[in-house]
Amino acid sequence: MGNTDELHDAELSDAALVERFAYLRVDRDNAPFYRGWLAHELRLNRCADCGHWHHPTRPLCPACWSWNVVATAVSGRGRVHLLMNLHQGPAAPGVDYAAGPYPVVTVELEEQPSLRYTSTIVNCAAADVTLDMAVMLTWIDRHGAPFPVFEPTNG
Amino acid sequence: MTRNPIKDAISFVGIGTTGFGRTSDRSSLALALDASTRAIRDAGLAAHDINGVVCIAEPGAPGPETLATALGLTNVTHFSKPTPVVMNAIVDAMNAIYSGSCDTVLVCSSMLRLPWNSRSAAHDPFRRHLGGGAAGIPESINMAPAYTAWASRYIHEYGCGKEPFGRVAVNMRTNAASNPIAAMRAPITLDDYYAARMIREPLCLLDMDIPVDGADAFVLTTTERAKALPHAPVLIHAATVGLGTSDEDQLPSLARHGQHVVVEALRAKSDLWLDDVDVYLPYDGFTIITLGWIENTGWCKPGQAARFLADNWDTDNGRIVIDGRIPVNPHGGSLSEGATRGTGHVREAVVQLRGEAGDRQVPGAKTALVTPGGFFFNAQGAILHTA
Repeated sequence: MGNTDELHDAELSDAALVERFAYLRVDRDNAPFYRGWLAHELRLNRCADCGHWHHPTRPLCPACWSWNVVATAVSGRGRVHLLMNLHQGPAAPGVDYAAGPYPVVTVELEEQPSLRYTSTIVNCAAADVTLDMAVMLTWIDRHGAPFPVFEPTNG
Repeated sequence: MTRNPIKDAISFVGIGTTGFGRTSDRSSLALALDASTRAIRDAGLAAHDINGVVCIAEPGAPGPETLATALGLTNVTHFSKPTPVVMNAIVDAMNAIYSGSCDTVLVCSSMLRLPWNSRSAAHDPFRRHLGGGAAGIPESINMAPAYTAWASRYIHEYGCGKEPFGRVAVNMRTNAASNPIAAMRAPITLDDYYAARMIREPLCLLDMDIPVDGADAFVLTTTERAKALPHAPVLIHAATVGLGTSDEDQLPSLARHGQHVVVEALRAKSDLWLDDVDVYLPYDGFTIITLGWIENTGWCKPGQAARFLADNWDTDNGRIVIDGRIPVNPHGGSLSEGATRGTGHVREAVVQLRGEAGDRQVPGAKTALVTPGGFFFNAQGAILHTA
């Protein structure tokens, strides 16, 4: 964390940010969210007035209509709420459906009930993933940039 | 307070379909024109009688401007292009007629197998403009995958296993055998269901509707005007759409989503309810959606669909018959007739209420409950009946 490369990333222009995540759709509202990835932080929008978290990223707090929403790092701890194992699906680097089902987990984050983030899970066989299991955030590389995923929480 | 001033004021007076299959080489426009001309003729009308055109915005399908012009319609005063599922279009047509924006509306939906969901379609050069492989990244439950993800939660919370899902799939295939225009008519068993290829586990190939080519069209007008037309009108007693949260992975729980919004609105608008229903047509784009509708409409309690389907299972024929009387999607639904995004369910309601369903006719059917759509942004409902 905090090495020279990441400091450089934090100063990326908007154009360079969009280019860095060309396989996703970076827009004005979610740019701070993707800048967080470069710092290995999962920054979800939180209302600075009422404290309500929401995701996906929107410019207005849906709870109190404040515009004062701030991309704020979550702890990354949560539990698997939804699970599917893809036997086929969209192509992505490192995803080989022929080698076995690819797990996709929707994780309920500890910050707020029903605040969830969907990704895959690593360091765990697909067959060993269960609903309600405790997980935590970690990072893999995709297309030369960080990508947030989950892994089982030890203990 | 829920108002329903439009109750019984608008009727279906014409239906037309191309039937559904997986080998067609007709264009989406050709299919739309075929279904539309059939529907208008079925209503005993001609081009000059149609002054509203509503086309469902399916990929590759003609918009209302193209369809109206291709049909030679020259006095259109209302046209629109609602998103699927079916009732967005039907409700728009109803409101346009009731408000006086127009008098008689053609609603059309034309479906194509797409390159990303059909291998044969991927090899059709005329479909290249419809896009390539599955869009997006794997790590998302937006759109269709949401139903698999939430099926995992349903199974986890209720400990029901896959049997109720299998019964839904088997029911649709059994019923499709009696529907000459269905795409998939070879019967299946629960064992076939358990052996089917996994796609998005826990859901398999037979949990998912069948991409097809084909079109459905409907003609609607005032119930008053309908009296002069050839078929006994099928009245729209109550109709609604319901928006739950549109963020699939943020839905708090299966206890409250679009289906609940629909059922509350429909019950408040309708004088008719489950005891009055002769035929039930719940959406089945995915099996979990049907289980949701059966529970949320109130045929049984939440989490009790497994028991309900076992108790209302016609073992001899491999189909659901509620209370020994009410079939569920007698046309075979989206799982077996084909993925019409609900137009098939509405058409079958009209066919049944007209008494034109042949071998699968529900004797004396007077009232149909149709519940198209899923959990998030396309849950819908309608109660249709004949006088």
